[in-house]
Amino acid sequence: MVGRLGRVTGTVGPGLVGEVMVRVRGGAEAFLAYASEPGERFERGAVVVVVEHLPPRTVYVAAAYG
Amino acid sequence: MVIGIVAGVLLAAVIIVVALFKLMWRVAEPNEALIISGSKHRTDGLEEGMGFRIVTGRGTLVLPGVQAVRKLSLDLNEADLNVDCVTKQGIPLKVHGVVIFKVGDDFVSIANAARRFLDQQKFMGDRVHNVFAGHLRSIVGGLTVEDMIRDRERLTGETRAASGTEMEKLGLIIDSLQIHEIQDPTGYIKNLAAPHAAAVQRDARIAEAEADRLATEAEQQAKARMSQAQRDSEILQAGYQAERDSAAAKARQAGPLAQAAAQQEVVVQETRVAELAARRREQQLQADVRKPADAAAYEKRTLAEAERDARISAAQAKARETELAAAAEATRVKTAAAAEAEATTARGTAAATATRATGEAEAEAARAKGLAAAEASRAQGLAEAEAIKARASALAENQEAVVAQQLAEQWPEIVRAGAQAFGSVDHMVLLNGADGVSDLFAKALTMGGTGLGLARQLLAAMGTADGPGAGTRAGTGPVAGAGGIGAGTGDAGGRDGGGRAGSGGHGRGDGPPAGGPAAGPPRAAPRVERVPVEEDGGIPGAGAR
Repeated sequence: MVGRLGRVTGTVGPGLVGEVMVRVRGGAEAFLAYASEPGERFERGAVVVVVEHLPPRTVYVAAAYG
Repeated sequence: MVIGIVAGVLLAAVIIVVALFKLMWRVAEPNEALIISGSKHRTDGLEEGMGFRIVTGRGTLVLPGVQAVRKLSLDLNEADLNVDCVTKQGIPLKVHGVVIFKVGDDFVSIANAARRFLDQQKFMGDRVHNVFAGHLRSIVGGLTVEDMIRDRERLTGETRAASGTEMEKLGLIIDSLQIHEIQDPTGYIKNLAAPHAAAVQRDARIAEAEADRLATEAEQQAKARMSQAQRDSEILQAGYQAERDSAAAKARQAGPLAQAAAQQEVVVQETRVAELAARRREQQLQADVRKPADAAAYEKRTLAEAERDARISAAQAKARETELAAAAEATRVKTAAAAEAEATTARGTAAATATRATGEAEAEAARAKGLAAAEASRAQGLAEAEAIKARASALAENQEAVVAQQLAEQWPEIVRAGAQAFGSVDHMVLLNGADGVSDLFAKALTMGGTGLGLARQLLAAMGTADGPGAGTRAGTGPVAGAGGIGAGTGDAGGRDGGGRAGSGGHGRGDGPPAGGPAAGPPRAAPRVERVPVEEDGGIPGAGAR
C-alpha cells in the first residue's frame, strides 16, 4: 500500500478530510487522506504518493513529483 | 465377485470422498467474504489471535464440525434519511436524503464489520440511519442553504469530515450522500430565488416589451412603407393617367389639327396659285398694254423729238445764216462807216465850230423860247388837267371810251418813245432802205427775249413822261405794244411762237402717254394682290379682270 500512487478526489488540506483513490487488490478504493506534511494542500485531481497507511482506511500522502 | 465388491467399495469410497470434499470445500463469491472461525489461522494484515480468518474471492477447505463458516455480504446498502436540521444561519430545514454505503474491502474493515453486523446484516440500514442522522445534522449545521444547494464538494467534504472516522469504526465506506429534498417551512429558498425571479421576470418583461416595441416599430414602419408605396403608386398611376389623357387628347386633336394643317397647305397653295395667276396677269398686262403703250409713246416722243430737233436745226441754221449775214453786213457797214467816219470827222470838226456858235446863239434863243414855252405849257397843262379831271369824272362810267380816247391821243407819244431807242444813235445810215429798218427793229425786239422788256421800257419811259394816269396806261400799254409790234414783226414772232408751241407740245405730249400706261399697272397691281388672299382661287381672275 505504501508507495503507491493515488489521485486526489477530495481536497486534502488543513482542517479537511481528503479522499484519495488508490489502486489496490485488483480494484480502486477510496481512502480518507491527510497530508503527511502539516499545512500541505492537494487540490482535486492532483497525484500523490501514499507515504503511510493506517488501517482500515486512512492514508497520509505526499506530493508524487515533488 | 471380489472384483465387484472391490469396485463397489471403490465407488463408494470415491463417492464418500467427493461428498466429504463437497462438505469441506467452501468458495467465497466476489460480493461476499467468508468468515471462518474455529481454528488457529493467520491472515494478512490481522494480528495474531483474532480467532477467525477471512476468505474473499476463492475457495477454502473447511473442516465441518471443527470450523464455522459465515458469509458477510459486501454489497451496496442504502439508508433513507429524514432529518430536521438547522443550517449555519439557523434556518430550520427538513432534509430528505439517501446515504449509500458498503463494507470495506480490506480485511480490517471486514473484520470490524463482521464483529458488529454479522448477525444483524438485515438491520445494517437502521443502524447506519441512526448513526448518520446525527452526522447529517452536524453536516447541515456546518453549511449554509446556498452551499447545500450548490456546493457538492463542500457537502461531500463535510460528510467525510463528520462521518469518516465513525464509519471506519464500523468497517463501512460511505460511497455517496445524496440529499433528495429540502423542505423549507420559512420560505427561505423561495425568498432566495425571489430577487432572481424578479430580475428574471423584469428582464423577461423588458425583453418582451422591447420585442413588442420592436415588433410595433417594424409593423408601423411596414405600414408607413406600405402607405408610402401606395402613395408612390398612386402618384405614378396619376402621372401615367395624365400622360394617357394627354396622349388621348393629343390624338383626338391630331385629326382636326392635321385637317387644319392640310387646309392651311391648300390655302397656301391656292394663294400661291392666285399670286402666280396675278403675276401672269400682270405680265400679260405688261406685255399686252404697257409695252405697246410704251412703244407708242416712244414712237410719238421720238417723232416729236425728231421734229423738234429738225425745227431747232432749221431755226439754228436760219439764225446762223442771219447772224452770218448780219456779221457780213456789219463788217461791210463798219468799213464803210470807218471810211465815212474819216470824212465825217474832218467835216465834223469844221462844222463843229460853226455849229457851236450857232448853237450858243440858238441856246439863248431856245432858253428864252423854252421859258416862254414852259409858261405856255404850264398854263396848257393846268388847263389839260382840269380837262382830264372833268373828263375822268365825266367818263368814269365809260372807261373804254376814255382808254380808247387816251390811246388815240397818245399814239404820237408811243411812236416817239419807240423811236427813242434809236435816239442814242445820233447818226444812222440805213443801206437797205425800209427793209433794213424793219429788220433792225425786229432784231432789237427779238434779242434775248428783250422784246417785251423793250416794250416795258418804252411804256415806262412814256409813263414818266406822262406823269399821272400811268397806272392805267401801263396796264394797257403792252396790249397795244404787242399788237403794234406783232403787226410789225409778224414773221419773226410767228416763227418764234410756233417753235415754242412745238416744244410745249413736246413737253405736254411726253407726259400723258408715259404717265397713262405707267400709272395704269401699278394701280391695278394692288387690287390683284389683295383679292386672292380673301377669296378663293377662282375669283382673283375676276378681280384682275
